[in-house]
Amino acid sequence: MKTKKKKKTGNVILHIVMFALALIWIYPYVWLFLASVKPSAEIYTRFWPTKFTLEHFKFILESAERMNRPFVRAFFNSLFVSVTVTLCVMLSSAIIAFALSKYKFRARDGIFNFIIFQMVFPGFMFTIPMYILIRNLRLLNTYSALILPSIMSGWGIFMLTQSFKGTPDDYIEAAKMDGASDFFVIFRIMVPLNNSAMAIVGLFTFIGIWDNFMWPLIVIQDYNKMPLSVLLATFNHEYGAYIGPIMAGAVIQTIPMVLIFIIFRKAFLQGISMTLK
Amino acid sequence: MAKKNKNLAKKEAIKGFSISSIYLVYAAIFWGYPFVWLFILVFSKWKFVGKPQFVGFKNITRVLSDPLFWKTVVNVFRFMLYYIPLVLLGAMLFAIALNKLKYGKTFVTLSFLVANVSSGVAYSIMFSNLFAVNGPVNRLLYNLFGVTIPWFSSPSLAMFSIALIVIWKFIGYYGLILYAGLSAIPESLYEAAELDGANGFTKFFKITLPLLNPSIVMVMVLAITLAFGIFTEPYMITGGGPMRSTLTPMMHMITTAFQRMDPTYAATMAVFVAGISFGMVWLVRKIMEREVDLV
Repeated sequence: MKTKKKKKTGNVILHIVMFALALIWIYPYVWLFLASVKPSAEIYTRFWPTKFTLEHFKFILESAERMNRPFVRAFFNSLFVSVTVTLCVMLSSAIIAFALSKYKFRARDGIFNFIIFQMVFPGFMFTIPMYILIRNLRLLNTYSALILPSIMSGWGIFMLTQSFKGTPDDYIEAAKMDGASDFFVIFRIMVPLNNSAMAIVGLFTFIGIWDNFMWPLIVIQDYNKMPLSVLLATFNHEYGAYIGPIMAGAVIQTIPMVLIFIIFRKAFLQGISMTLK
Repeated sequence: MAKKNKNLAKKEAIKGFSISSIYLVYAAIFWGYPFVWLFILVFSKWKFVGKPQFVGFKNITRVLSDPLFWKTVVNVFRFMLYYIPLVLLGAMLFAIALNKLKYGKTFVTLSFLVANVSSGVAYSIMFSNLFAVNGPVNRLLYNLFGVTIPWFSSPSLAMFSIALIVIWKFIGYYGLILYAGLSAIPESLYEAAELDGANGFTKFFKITLPLLNPSIVMVMVLAITLAFGIFTEPYMITGGGPMRSTLTPMMHMITTAFQRMDPTYAATMAVFVAGISFGMVWLVRKIMEREVDLV
């Protein structure tokens, strides 16, 4: 009886501790957000502002333009590049994964093993040679430099192939019996049946590209083509004194990632346990 | 009928191969071509213009005797020394606590995971201000204990502080990997152990830890790979300083290639770093990986 009671208090304490830790973990975000809406003088001194202001957002969206730091444009650059890459990766991965999982041909296992082999090499090994490739293609300082190197993903193909293998062939054969084309089978049968794997590939690709920093830092020098991450970093280096606007920029950079995480949180959780297999 | 089937199979094989070969063509351009260039770079001298000049093993011997390069490698090891034990312990406690939590599991999980989707640039800015010399964290410390801590400006502390913020980012992610492993352990094992009179301590070291081995190795591999590729945080927060105590191989590689205009040397360093990282992963697997069988 006594141990049961002890267990119960232990459980209550555990809940309190975990909730407190959870709050500590989101505290930096809350602080960042509040910092972006309070007067500059209070950023370091007060947690809760005496008054709320949108001047920092106004500054970064309007005045920064006149300083030749186009943040609105940078936001749409990031959005355009991330969405394009994500769509391309999902599309190409689905088509190729379908071929690798549902067609029988001699080179199949070879190609699949090659994809796994590729994943052994860390990306940073290729940074400089990739820069040379993009330079030789005369694509430096273009959106293509940000998009082309990522439009297909070995990891995406791998994930979807694994998932597609689990879909019974009967569905496909039944559809083909009714005269369905391959494209119909891929996009009307395979993709909906494997929507969680599709969501994982899309989510991780989007976050990876939106957050990408080193690569665009190297290949984009033109302020008009910079993604938000790079423009924010250069602005932070050049105008470090404008703390308020920098915080506002950081909030804008963070919002899409947090938003997409909250929307697709289920896929995210599944993705973590899936990488185990 | 048999012939028709054979024809169909052949048609299918051609189709399958031609679809997959789209990827092969793409990989030839965006993986094969850079791969070949990597080899050329390692054995040549070249400054982005003209033709690469073959120099044999000169780049490699230069890396071996370059104190700055090895300092960056030591910096990564210092980072791992702080990062891996703390994040592993934290993630483990997180996973165990989550397993025992009855209410608010989703809230706790999401709070820890939302840290993981923070943008590298944005969270570096956020923490460099939170932990600034006169920032909010130091203000709180000063009010409570009368001390301030030079988080990012002391050479002996800067790398530790960077490790701390990366821990903030990854503890939830690693914790969930461990949690997934934890919830796969059948309850009956613990019950059987309890019948044999095992206490919590024995249960943890004889059941939980051995059965969690694959998940722990996975987290270790992820953490090592991350450590060798770290770039954004030191680039944004410390710029590699103070006294190069947070200069990482990636930062060194990028400045060598694009500011000192020495891509051949930078590429050679990249190969070395990849080799060391690979070696570490191999070592961890060799030492830690155990065959686990669930009876």
